Amino acid sequence: MDAIVVEGLRKQFDPPKGPVAVDDVSFGIREGEIFSLLGPNGAGKTTIISILSCLLRPDAGEARVGGFSVTRESDEVKRLIGVVPQEIALYEELSGRENLLFWGRMYGLNGPALNKRVDEVLDWIGLVDRQTDRLEKYSGGMKRRVNIGAALLHNPRFLYLDEPTVGIDPQSRRSILDGVKNFNAAGVTVLYTTHYMEEAQEISDRIAIMDRGAMIAVGAQDELVRLVGERTRINLALDRNADILAERWRDLAGVSTVSEPEDGRLWVLTDDANSLMPRLFDSAQTAEARITEINLAEPNLEMVFLHLTGRALRD
Amino acid sequence: MLRVLNIAWKDVRHVYRDIAVLVMMFAAPLALAGALGAAFGSGDNFSIAAVKTVVVDQDEGAGAGVPAAGATLTASLTGPDMADLLVVTQMDDPEAARAAVDDSEAAVAVIIPSNLSSALMSAGPGDGPAGPTADIQLYKDPALSVGPSIVAAVTESVIQSLNGARAAGATAARLGLSLGLTDTDSLSALASQAAAAYAQTAQTEPPVVLEARGPVVASAETEKRPNVASQVLVGMMLFFMLFGAATPARSVLDEHRQGTLPRLFTTPTPRSLILGGKYVAVFLVVLIQAAVLLLVGRFLMGADWGEPGPVVVLTLCSALVAASLGLVTVSFAKTPGQAGAVSSAIFVFLGLISGNFMGTANIGGTFAVVRRVSPLGWLMEGWSDLLYGGSWSNIVLPVAAAMSFTVVLFAVSTFFFRRRYA
Repeated sequence: MDAIVVEGLRKQFDPPKGPVAVDDVSFGIREGEIFSLLGPNGAGKTTIISILSCLLRPDAGEARVGGFSVTRESDEVKRLIGVVPQEIALYEELSGRENLLFWGRMYGLNGPALNKRVDEVLDWIGLVDRQTDRLEKYSGGMKRRVNIGAALLHNPRFLYLDEPTVGIDPQSRRSILDGVKNFNAAGVTVLYTTHYMEEAQEISDRIAIMDRGAMIAVGAQDELVRLVGERTRINLALDRNADILAERWRDLAGVSTVSEPEDGRLWVLTDDANSLMPRLFDSAQTAEARITEINLAEPNLEMVFLHLTGRALRD
Repeated sequence: MLRVLNIAWKDVRHVYRDIAVLVMMFAAPLALAGALGAAFGSGDNFSIAAVKTVVVDQDEGAGAGVPAAGATLTASLTGPDMADLLVVTQMDDPEAARAAVDDSEAAVAVIIPSNLSSALMSAGPGDGPAGPTADIQLYKDPALSVGPSIVAAVTESVIQSLNGARAAGATAARLGLSLGLTDTDSLSALASQAAAAYAQTAQTEPPVVLEARGPVVASAETEKRPNVASQVLVGMMLFFMLFGAATPARSVLDEHRQGTLPRLFTTPTPRSLILGGKYVAVFLVVLIQAAVLLLVGRFLMGADWGEPGPVVVLTLCSALVAASLGLVTVSFAKTPGQAGAVSSAIFVFLGLISGNFMGTANIGGTFAVVRRVSPLGWLMEGWSDLLYGGSWSNIVLPVAAAMSFTVVLFAVSTFFFRRRYA
């Protein structure tokens, strides 16, 4: 049985004319897994997190967390969850430790138990040495780590992370991703949202791909990749006539899709890259163009998104 | 309850770590009260320092039996009624008097010409060609305005009185003529006696009357005369407490924008407790502000606020009023910037109609009625009562009225906050 169940969720802001942020979304999250919502900005990921955090009421549908309804039993749900919002939702004028103490008290912790737990979390997020500095003196990555730490103080059964790596350096991103895997290994069920395909691929047991409020696919990574078959993406750079060649290549046998050229760069989806590549070189030569760069990409979630929506994930 | 206090304490610390806010909460009201207190001296009722005045009386008189006009003017300036306003030094040399003003040893010199009496005793109005004129010179320090104006007003009043005597003499002479008196000496004597009688009356019943202000609490047995600084500080304290309250109240909107308020709502702490913590924070911030200002006023400005019990009650009441006003003005707003603009406008308006910028000394008449539409006006009334020696009985009505406003304001702000966040 799924630990988190979402059924037919719908949320529209400023009805009746406002945008539909989430439209008939259903999925389940198993106990102990890392489940990612992958999609571009505006896909509805944060709205789902907000509903599962009891911040927003859905217009229709139901969501249950640990067996409790997010609308009717929100107090019980809130005791089970730790929420890491997308923005740094902390107090700049307080130190890292003071922030953790404050948020711990909001989760009902007090006294020696709270202090002990804060010490543990500071150790996890690697900020023991800087714990007495005011947050305004922290780097973006350090703030992100405190942002996560504040959601872990009460040992939540479920941890929601809403795009926790936005705007930080690669080192801090690595630290956060490793941390998420560690929390999960310790038994925490993780709901993770991101628009970075690589992150979803690296940490997720299962992934739900979202676009414009709808869930367009859900499953393990290999299950999703199979949706696009065995296609390979050939990335090319041309010195001239990219527009002409794109048109010609769309008619070539074995070509599935050709992207619109951008600054002489384009990509081609094919089932058989080995046989196609010589013909691409021939065609380029005929058009008096030269292929200056070429590489192959195996099927991934980016291609799944492209296959399902016709648009790149970053769009 | 512990969570409420945690939220409140966090907000109180946030406010008291902001230097700009501290300046607004403490330095501004103290500076204004201190500056006005220094300007008007440490005495009561906005009194000003006595004006140093030099009088040079060169009047030679108009003959035996007729009081010299110069002496009359000098007597008016040196009389007991002017003692609080003027410090008069008499000199003989006009140049020395002018030099005293030039050297800032005096604010104004009154130089009475030698022919003042004779000019007054010459032919009266409508009695043939105009007689000689006499000019009284006021030589004043151009940098000063209030002091010389007082001397000018007194001098003008005396001159009018003397001109009245002159008119009285002329009228008496015309009356004598109409009754058949033809002897020039008799007519002259009659005119002189009439003028002298008028001048004597004017001198014994001075035309310049200083109105003494009575205390606001007429029934208070022990009438106090609070100093200027304390009178000003009360108004400034109440006014700046509104801004002190608005700062933590705006934190609701700030935290919503920064994401900490939604995050708080994801914790098991009920929303009612979170908003309760905000309310307590606002109250504590202004309560501390009031306590500090009252203590500074007491020990640095010599303010005597009154009996401790009523002062404590009125302080708590003031903090509740300020907190409710701060919260209600923020509850309507959608952004911190909007809240700042709206609340500032409302606070200034309330300060104006409540008399916060005038201290407690100038309250009375219609204004005392008008200001009762504002809770600040009631508070000003209560504090004024205490400053002038009032006690429990004097603050019951102001406290009851102000608390009624507070209950309504808290209800309104709670309604809007709950509608938005509950």
